[in-house]
Amino acid sequence: MAHDHAAPLAPAADDPAAPPGGSRALWFTSRLAMVAGLLGGYGLFAWVSGRFMLPAHTGQLHQLFVTRVSDVAVGATLLYRTPDGRTVNVTRRAQTGAATDFIALSSTCPHLGCQVRWEAQNERYFCPCHNGTFNTEGTATGGPPGDAGQALPRYGLTVDKGLLYILVPAEQLSLGDVAGLVEVTTPVGPGHDPCLTRLKGRDA
Amino acid sequence: MSDVRGWIGERVPVSIDAVAAMSNEPVPHHLKRWWFALGGTPAYLFVVQIVTGVLLAFYYQPAPQTAYESVRYITEEAAFGWYLRGLHKWGATLMIAAVVLHQMRVFFTGAYRKPRELNWMIGMTLLVCTLMLGFTGYSLVFEQLSYWGATVGANISDTVPVVGPLMKQVLLGGDTYNDRTLSRFFILHGAVLPVLLILVLMMHIGLVRLLGVTELEFEGEDPKTAKPFNFFPEHFYTELIIGLTLMILLSALAVLVPVEMGPRADPQVTPEVIKPEWFFYVAFRWLKLFSGTTAMLTQGFIVFVMFGWPFIDAWLVRRFKYAEISVWIGVAGASAIMGLTMWEALVAH
Repeated sequence: MAHDHAAPLAPAADDPAAPPGGSRALWFTSRLAMVAGLLGGYGLFAWVSGRFMLPAHTGQLHQLFVTRVSDVAVGATLLYRTPDGRTVNVTRRAQTGAATDFIALSSTCPHLGCQVRWEAQNERYFCPCHNGTFNTEGTATGGPPGDAGQALPRYGLTVDKGLLYILVPAEQLSLGDVAGLVEVTTPVGPGHDPCLTRLKGRDA
Repeated sequence: MSDVRGWIGERVPVSIDAVAAMSNEPVPHHLKRWWFALGGTPAYLFVVQIVTGVLLAFYYQPAPQTAYESVRYITEEAAFGWYLRGLHKWGATLMIAAVVLHQMRVFFTGAYRKPRELNWMIGMTLLVCTLMLGFTGYSLVFEQLSYWGATVGANISDTVPVVGPLMKQVLLGGDTYNDRTLSRFFILHGAVLPVLLILVLMMHIGLVRLLGVTELEFEGEDPKTAKPFNFFPEHFYTELIIGLTLMILLSALAVLVPVEMGPRADPQVTPEVIKPEWFFYVAFRWLKLFSGTTAMLTQGFIVFVMFGWPFIDAWLVRRFKYAEISVWIGVAGASAIMGLTMWEALVAH
């Protein structure tokens, strides 16, 4: 019925365990190549798939507007929210007008992700979950983060034409509708107490 | 080793030897020719589609506000996202091509004839499922062409008499493309159609196993030496080699012809040139040749004839006493399909 002139496959052995044609080396090499191909090919694919599942770190930073430099007095702290909802304390510590006047510290404790609060009387950030403490530079000084030598993640800042910008990793831009400045506190010290902010908001 | 077998055998009372004997069907000699090993190709590609589709679904967000951005993220930012999306896109293309080639091989060798008529119809169902997967998958990207392709596709179904408006409502989740449409396409593409395809594929392979593969004879081949061979390991090895070759081909296509992001869907602006995916070119050209309802009814009739072809063929052979009549009708049909596809591919409108 059908006419086919395609080359047939290699002759199959009657006993698959025996080397065909008497060449043991060829038999062994072909099987080794097959196993290597399978392991190499699908192993590489499995690695690619696993890597795909991990979050992308492109290293790209996006510059987002925070506020006018002149609107922030020395000692004041801004609470800034990144596009994916993380909060950052931006504190002004000098009045040269440069980006180095400011320090931007994440309010998320590097230990287990709780929100730290500023304790003015102790001049430290305090994490209520496991009593972690951090100095004004964000370096852990006590509790589990101190033992682990951790620090509050720090964000880069730039000043351009009198405007303050924060540098946010590209992967934190997923929810663009919640970004922005939350509040500027009065110049009473570095840092910001989120609990106090919530109380203020409720009172208002 | 025997201890392990005994331990497992007590808890899972299934005889490994019986399972091996059941699955190790004798394969006809002609399957040593590559061209006849095409049946496993769409099945292998379907597995590739499931694996890559599941991976892509980890990032895809099926809503008009987020779909395009999530596909852009996969393509441009996620590690190897461009590669996996490329595999999925080219896997779909090759899967449809392989299903069509497999169907053509079955058609032109008369392998659909008694007692395999029902398996032909099951195979046709697999073809329709595959095309629907292509349509819904293409729509998920939420580019201009995929958005307008989905809109046109839904409006085409609207022209079917009696049930058309209902089909459109079910497909779009409303009178027009709306906020709920993409999630419908996503569920159809990622759950309903694949599960349906798996169930129908099990029936297809089950019937192949029960009825056996059609044995073909070739000129110059001695029937005494052309003996059947074992499915395992001989044919299994063939399928392994085909699988690796396909992965190399898919990887090469994903790298050399990478997927790109078209313009984001804009419901206010229809693109100047609008085309569906290549496998719908023939239907698209047909719609330009005939009015909506006529085009749909004639296409429905052609699909109906294709479904029932084993019975129509049996009647024709009885009527005209000429067994090769299906070959000439098949050549005419395939030429028409290829001609209309080429026509649509070569012109803008």
